Amino acid sequence: MSAMMQPQIILLKEGTDTSQGKAQLVSNINACTAVADVVRTTLGPRGMDKLIHDDKGSVTISNDGATIMKLLDIVHPAAKILVDIAKSQDSEVGDGTTTVVLLAGEFLKEAKPFIEDGVHPQNLIRSYRIASNLALEKVKELAVSIEGKSLEEKKSLLAKCAATTLSSKLIGGEKEFFASMVVDAVIAIGHEDRLNMIGIKKVPGGNMRDSFLVNGVAFKKTFSYAGFEQQPKKFLNPKILLLNIELELKSEKENAEIRLSDPSQYQSIVDAEWNIIYDKLDKCVQSGAKVVLSRLAIGDLGTQYFADRDIFCAGRVTEEDLHRVAAATGGTVQTSVNNVIDEVLGTCELFEERQVGNERFNIFSGCPSGLTATIVLRGGADQFIEEAERSLHDAIMIVRRAMKNSTVVAGGGAIDMEISRYLRQHARTIAGKSQLFINSYAKALEVIPRQLCDNAGFDATDVLNKLRQKHALQSGEGANYGVDINTGGIADSFANFVWEPAVVKINAINAATEAACLILSVDETVKNPKSESAQGEAAASAMGGRGRGGAGFRGRGRGMRRR
Amino acid sequence: MGLQMQSHGIQSMLKEGHKHLSGLDEAVLKNIGACKALSIITGTSLGPNGMNKMVINHLDKLFVTNDAATIVNELEVQHPAAKILVLASKAQQEEIGDGANLTISFAGELLQNAEELIRMGLHPSEIISGYTKAINKTVEILEELVENGSETMDVRNKDQVLSRIRAAVASKQFGQEDILCSLVADACIQVCPKNPANFNVDNVRVAKLLGGGLHNSTVVRGMVLKSDAVGSLKQIERAKVAVFVGGVDSSATETKGTVLIHSAEQLENYSKTEEAKIEELIRSVADSGAKVIVSGAAVGEMALHFCERYKLMVLKISSKFELRRFCRTTGAVAMVAVPTSLTQPNPDDLGYVDSISVEEIGGVRVIIVKNEEGGNSVSTVVLRGSTDSILDDLERAVDDGVNTYKAMCRDSRVVPGAAATEIELAKRVKEFSYKETGLDQYAVAKFAESFEMVPKTLAENAGLNAMEIISSLYAEHASGNSKVGIDLKEGVCKDVSTLCVWDLYITKFFALKYAADAACTVLRVDQIIMAKPAGGPKRDQPAGMDED
Repeated sequence: MSAMMQPQIILLKEGTDTSQGKAQLVSNINACTAVADVVRTTLGPRGMDKLIHDDKGSVTISNDGATIMKLLDIVHPAAKILVDIAKSQDSEVGDGTTTVVLLAGEFLKEAKPFIEDGVHPQNLIRSYRIASNLALEKVKELAVSIEGKSLEEKKSLLAKCAATTLSSKLIGGEKEFFASMVVDAVIAIGHEDRLNMIGIKKVPGGNMRDSFLVNGVAFKKTFSYAGFEQQPKKFLNPKILLLNIELELKSEKENAEIRLSDPSQYQSIVDAEWNIIYDKLDKCVQSGAKVVLSRLAIGDLGTQYFADRDIFCAGRVTEEDLHRVAAATGGTVQTSVNNVIDEVLGTCELFEERQVGNERFNIFSGCPSGLTATIVLRGGADQFIEEAERSLHDAIMIVRRAMKNSTVVAGGGAIDMEISRYLRQHARTIAGKSQLFINSYAKALEVIPRQLCDNAGFDATDVLNKLRQKHALQSGEGANYGVDINTGGIADSFANFVWEPAVVKINAINAATEAACLILSVDETVKNPKSESAQGEAAASAMGGRGRGGAGFRGRGRGMRRR
Repeated sequence: MGLQMQSHGIQSMLKEGHKHLSGLDEAVLKNIGACKALSIITGTSLGPNGMNKMVINHLDKLFVTNDAATIVNELEVQHPAAKILVLASKAQQEEIGDGANLTISFAGELLQNAEELIRMGLHPSEIISGYTKAINKTVEILEELVENGSETMDVRNKDQVLSRIRAAVASKQFGQEDILCSLVADACIQVCPKNPANFNVDNVRVAKLLGGGLHNSTVVRGMVLKSDAVGSLKQIERAKVAVFVGGVDSSATETKGTVLIHSAEQLENYSKTEEAKIEELIRSVADSGAKVIVSGAAVGEMALHFCERYKLMVLKISSKFELRRFCRTTGAVAMVAVPTSLTQPNPDDLGYVDSISVEEIGGVRVIIVKNEEGGNSVSTVVLRGSTDSILDDLERAVDDGVNTYKAMCRDSRVVPGAAATEIELAKRVKEFSYKETGLDQYAVAKFAESFEMVPKTLAENAGLNAMEIISSLYAEHASGNSKVGIDLKEGVCKDVSTLCVWDLYITKFFALKYAADAACTVLRVDQIIMAKPAGGPKRDQPAGMDED
C-alpha cells in the first residue's frame, strides 16, 4: 500500500484513463474506420438497408446514414465525431449523410499508413485542408447554375435532383412519382424557409402509388363525440375558425369557489354554467365560420350544437396541424371567442373529409396563402412508411437547398472522380511531402464511385479504371462521367440527369475534412471517471491493458499515473 | 528515485492514514515530477501546430481542444503541487484570457531544470533566489524588446487589431486564423466603447450553430438567440421594444387564494373580466408604441392571443443574462411586470431595434436581433462548424481573441512572436547570469535555458528538427537580428516582422511572471502532510487499484 504514500502517482483523479501518442491516434482511426464500414454498404441506389433493433425493442429499417449513426449509440469519443458530422450534414443539407461519414472514414484510412510511418499529423492536416479548399473551389467551378430558368424548367430540374436522392432509397422504384410530388410541395411553401409547413402523414395500407399531395393541409380525423356524423363533411369556400379553448362544460377556473347561502340560487348557478358554454358556442356560430377547429377538446354538447347548425368541428387537433391550417388559410388561432372579427377567420376553396385506407382525413385544399403542403404517404408495413418518410424528408431538404443555391453537379461519383483527378494533377506541381498527402486525399475521394460499384455488384476496379481514363481526357469532355448503375458501365451522369445540388458535395467535403483533421489532431485522450459511478474496475483494466509511452520515470514500476 | 522510506517518527505522532512526505527526494523532487508530468500533457498543445487533446470529463462531456486552460480545468488534477500550476494558469486565463499554456509549460520547464540543479547539490532556496533574480531581469529585458511604435494604437483600426490578435487565435486554430481573426476583430471593434479601457468581454457573444463550415460564419451587430418567436409574427423592422422581466400574463397572487363567487352573474362575468383585463394590459403596451414584447418568463395563452390581435411580436428570453444583454442591445429598460391597467409603459423604458427576424440556419431556428446604430453595444459571432467539438474549440479561439483585444485595449505594446522573444530572452538572461557571482548563477543560467522550451516545443509540434531550429535561431540572434523567429509554415527561421506574428507584451509578461511564481512556490515546499481524507475506505480502493 505504499503506493498511497506517493502523491505524484495520483496527479489526476483515480480512475482517470489517459492514453497518448501514435498508438492512440491509430486506435482512433481504427474506430472511425469501423464506423464508416457499418454504413459503407448503404451508399447509392443499390445500397443495402440496415435493420437496427434498439434496446427498447423497436425496429428501424433504414439506409439513411444519419439515422443509422444516431441509432448506433456510439460511445467511442473519436467515432462520436463521425456521428456529429452525419447529424450536421443532416441538418444543413438533409442528404449525403452516408457520403460524409464514408469520406471522413476514408480520409483517415488513407492517413493511417503515414501516421504509422511517423509523419507528423500536423503536416497531414495542413495538406488535407489545402486539398479540401482546392476541392471546394473545383466543385464550385463545375457546378451548373439553374438560376434564371422558367418555373416549368426549374421544376423538372429540381425533380431530377430529388430523383437522384430518392434513387438511393427504399422508394427508389417510384422515384419519378415522388420526386415531382416533393418538388410541388417545396414550391408550394415558397421561399419562406419553413420546413414544418410541409406535413407528412402516414397511412399504412395501399401501395406507394396511392400516396398523394395535398395543396393545403390534411390531418387524420380527430377523436369525436356523438353527433359528429350528423355534421356536413364537405364545404366550398368555408370560413374557418381556429380556437385554442375548450368547448366543454367545465369549471371556469380552478381557484374559484362558489358559496351559496340560499339554496334557491343553486339552479341559477347551474344555469349560469350552461349559459357560459352556450354563449361561447353561439359566438362561434355567429362568427360565420363553417369549420371550427380547436386544439383542445370540443365536447359532445358542442359537437351536437354545431351539427344542428350545419357546422363542422374537430377538437384536439395537434398544435402542428393547427398552425399549418392557420398558415394555409390565413386565419389566426384564437384563445377567446369574444370579439371574433372577420380577419382572424381563415378560408379555403374546399374542405372535405376523405377516406384514406381505413383512416378518415380532413383535407383543406386550395388555400389562399398556399404556404403549406401535406404529403399523405401510403405503403405496406410501418417500418416501410417510416423509411419512406425519412427518404422524403431527405428529398425535400435537397430540393430546398437546390432552390436556394441553384447550382447542381453531376452525381454518380462523377464529381468525386473529377475532383480526384484535379487534385492528383495539382499534387504533381507540389514539391515535398504534401504531394503524397494530397494524392491520398484524392484517392480517398474515389471511395464514392468505388462503393457505388461494390454495392451494385460491379467490378469496382474495372469501372474505376474506365472512369479514370474518361476523366483524364484532355478535352475535359469526360468530366461528367460517373458510374452507370443500370448497366454496370460508365455513363455521362449529367446527360442522364443524375444530379445533386452542389451544396451537398460542398458541405460533405467540408465536414468530412474537418472531422478527419480533428481526429488527426488529437494525440491524447483523458477520460475522467464518471461522477458518482464506480467504474474503477473498467478504468483499472484499461490502465493495465496498455503499454507505457512517456519518459523513463520508472522507479515504482506499476505505480505510474499514466496508462 | 524510488526512495520510499517513511519517517516513522512523525508517523506515530499523527492519526493513522495521513500521508507525510519530507525532504528533497520525497517532497521536492516528487512535486517537480508531478508538475513535469502535467506540463508534458499540455506541452504538445503549445503553439499553432499543437495537438489536440480529447478530454472526457466526469459528466461524460467530450472536449477536443488544445486550449490549455480548458484541458487542465477538465483534467481534475489531484496532486497538490501540480494544482499550483493549474492555479497559475487559471490566474493567467482570468487576467489575460490567453497564454495559459505558456504558463504551465514554462513553469514545468523551470521545475525540470531546477531538478537538475538540486541533483547538482544546490539548495532549493538558492534556486529560488536565482529564479527570482532572473525573472526580474527578464521583465526588464522584455520591456526593451517591445516593438517601437506599438505603444499607441487605434483600437478601432482593423488592421492594427488583426496584427495583434492573429498570434493568439492562430495558436488555437492554425490555418483558419485569417477568417477567425477578422470575425473577432469586426465583432470587437463594433462594440468597443468610447473609452477602450471599458471594453467588456461579455459584449461579444458567440452563437454556435451546427452545420456548414467556418467560412459560413458571420458577425451580427446585435444578438442571436437560439429560439423561435412565440407568436406567429416572425419578422419586424424598426420597432420599439418593451421588455418585461416577469411573465406576460394575468397577475396571479403568490399566496394561495380562492375567489368566492356568490351569484350566477358573478360566475358568468368572472372569465370575461379577466379577459378584458388582459386585453387592456396588452393594449396599453401596444398604445405606447411598442411593437415587440420580450418576456422573461412564460407568456400566457390569453396574453398571446391579444398580442397577435394587436400585431405585437412576442419573444421569450428565459435566461436572465441574455435578457440583460438584450436590454443592452436595444437600450430598453426591463420592467418588472406588465404595467397595471391604468399606467402605460414609460416611453423612455422602451428599447429600439432595427430588425428582429426568425431565420433558419442549419436546421435551427434562431432569432436575429439587429441594431445597426444607436446602442450597438453587443455583437455576436455566429460560428458554423460540422461538429459540436469543433464549434466548442472555435468558440474558445474566439474567446481568446476577444480577451486579447481587451488586453490590448489596456496595453497595446507588442513583442515579436514565434519564439523570437524567448530566444532573445534566453540569450540576454544567459549573459546576465555570467555577471552573477553567487551560486544562483547556475539558477539564472538554467532559467535562461528554460526559454528554449518554447522554440523547441513549437518546432517539435510542427514536425521540425528542434535542435537545428534552436541553433540557427541562436546564430541569428547572436548576429543581432533580435526579431528572428520560427516560420512554422516553411520550417525556417525568419524575421517575424515580415511574418507579422506579434504577441502582446502584457500576455507574455504575465505568463512568465506567473510561471516563475508558481515554480518558486513549488520549490519552496519541503514537506507534504496530507491528512487522511474523509470517507477513508472509499479512498483506499482506488489507491489499491494503482497496485492492481
